[in-house]
Amino acid sequence: MKFLVSFLVLVFAAVAQAISSSGSRLLVILEDVAEKAGYSKFLADLEGRGFDIAYETPKSESLSLFHLGERSYDHILFLPTKSKGLGPNLTPNILLQFINANGNILLTLSSSTATPSSIVSLLLELDIYLPADRQGLVVDHFNYDALSASEKHDVLLLQPPGALRAGVKDFFSDASVIAFPNGMGQTLGEGALLAPVLRAPATGYSYNPKEQTETVDDLFASGSQLSLVSTMQARNSARFTVVGSADMLSDKWFDAKVKKVGEKDTVKTGNQEFAKAISGWAFKETGVLRVNWVEHHLNEEGAGNASNPKIYRIKNDVTYSISLSEYSWDKYIPFTVPESDDLQLEFSMLSAFHRLKLNPTISSADSTTYSSSFKLPDQHGIFNFMVNYKRPFFTNVVEKNTVSVRHFAHDEWPRSFAISGAWPWLAGIGATVTGWLAFCTVWLYSAPAATRESKKTR
Amino acid sequence: MAPKKSATSSGTTSSSSSTTASASAALSNASSSAAKSASSGAQQIDQVALSLVQHYQKATPQRTKLIDAFMAFLVVVGALQFAYCVLAGNYPFNAFLSGFSATVGQFVLTASLRIQTTEANKSEFPSVSPERAFADYVVGSMILHFFCINFIN
Repeated sequence: MKFLVSFLVLVFAAVAQAISSSGSRLLVILEDVAEKAGYSKFLADLEGRGFDIAYETPKSESLSLFHLGERSYDHILFLPTKSKGLGPNLTPNILLQFINANGNILLTLSSSTATPSSIVSLLLELDIYLPADRQGLVVDHFNYDALSASEKHDVLLLQPPGALRAGVKDFFSDASVIAFPNGMGQTLGEGALLAPVLRAPATGYSYNPKEQTETVDDLFASGSQLSLVSTMQARNSARFTVVGSADMLSDKWFDAKVKKVGEKDTVKTGNQEFAKAISGWAFKETGVLRVNWVEHHLNEEGAGNASNPKIYRIKNDVTYSISLSEYSWDKYIPFTVPESDDLQLEFSMLSAFHRLKLNPTISSADSTTYSSSFKLPDQHGIFNFMVNYKRPFFTNVVEKNTVSVRHFAHDEWPRSFAISGAWPWLAGIGATVTGWLAFCTVWLYSAPAATRESKKTR
Repeated sequence: MAPKKSATSSGTTSSSSSTTASASAALSNASSSAAKSASSGAQQIDQVALSLVQHYQKATPQRTKLIDAFMAFLVVVGALQFAYCVLAGNYPFNAFLSGFSATVGQFVLTASLRIQTTEANKSEFPSVSPERAFADYVVGSMILHFFCINFIN
């Protein structure tokens, strides 16, 4: 019976873990709880993936992101709110604290409601910029949906984004065509933590719909500098995602039929797949790396190969291995480095003495082991085995193992007679010593008779 | 005062003239014998060397000669080791240092033995008898050999 209970507990624990890698408590902030009906499919998807969703309005008295210093929620989803601010419970500072405490935030914007100032401040803090006056509408006169936006051109039809650049894994290209209705674009700063997921087409631009002018005077941004869906992954791997159009997550656009201008056939949008991909990434269901273990040992014949010794000698042959897994939706899978990217090991003291590629050696059901063998540098001191793998859309891997590297002990040097180059000098010593012995012998037997005479005379 | 002055001046002039005369004579002498001296210079050097060797053989004690032979031997051994280092490189460096310094050190010790046992230097070392000097030399040499063999590993 006891066994059965513990087994059931284990099973439930496993089920409870079979969602996001960083917890299941999701807080949804919206203007009115009744509004959630408009996003029912998206929210049902999230619930189906195992999230416990709590709904709150920003004005709610009971809303608190922290309880006794611990996070009350693991993730936050912001749906558009009409109010100008977000109240005292959701100040930019509290939201930053939430990110610092490893919480993930998915923020949706909309051009029909002004973005709360609290959110704007938070975005500025993260180097993400919104159009002036918190008003902006992205339009594109060449890629709009002819069925729903033949006049306003504000429903963009976009192709899946593809990889950000060579060597970066593509998490977001499952969808077919993505509809981006009524959205607000952002521009991103130079920071390495920021990465755009979806960018506007070359002909897309953002303008202020409140201005009643025929021409756009001061353009906020256009083309690929206008990011429609952006991400920020903090150094603690907390994720912050901005989706420029809340409507693209709504039921209406999940199963809308769209027809791109100039094309004949009507197609269904791929918004549901894209919403799954972006929310899965934002809430750490994909792209989470885990270091299972790190091991290094002496790789020399005749030497005991104890794991992770504290000390090595210079010029030792050493093997370093690291086992990595990647979380994918509900389980860990072996991590494979994206093509044209390398996982690298640094052997460093202040600066790297070696920077080596780690090659996959052992692959199991849920992990890949990467290892590299090399000769330690001819330099003694305190060194680190360092794996510093920080890539867009992957959580950061920083593994640092410190070892001492000592110099040769006195009896570890080769004997001189074992080195043929030293033989002439050995012979030199030999000649000197034997010559000296011969000299001493002859000296002793050459005691001059004259000295005795001189002594006598003296 | 004046005549005296003139006398001295005349004296100096005469003396200067005489020196110039002798100088010119020497010059003529040198120029006349230039060819002769060129041929005989080598002979003179030979003679000097010969007399030097003869004097050395005659006047040097047996033990000092022995010391000189040993020092010459050390110079040869040291030069060979150094030449090998220059030609073949200094790896392993400790072996070179050890071998070369054994020879040089032995040379220095032997030189001090020679200084202390030479009859002419006796007044410098009133308290050091030749036996005492030799005993010091043996002990010093053995310490040197010990260090060098240890260092060459």
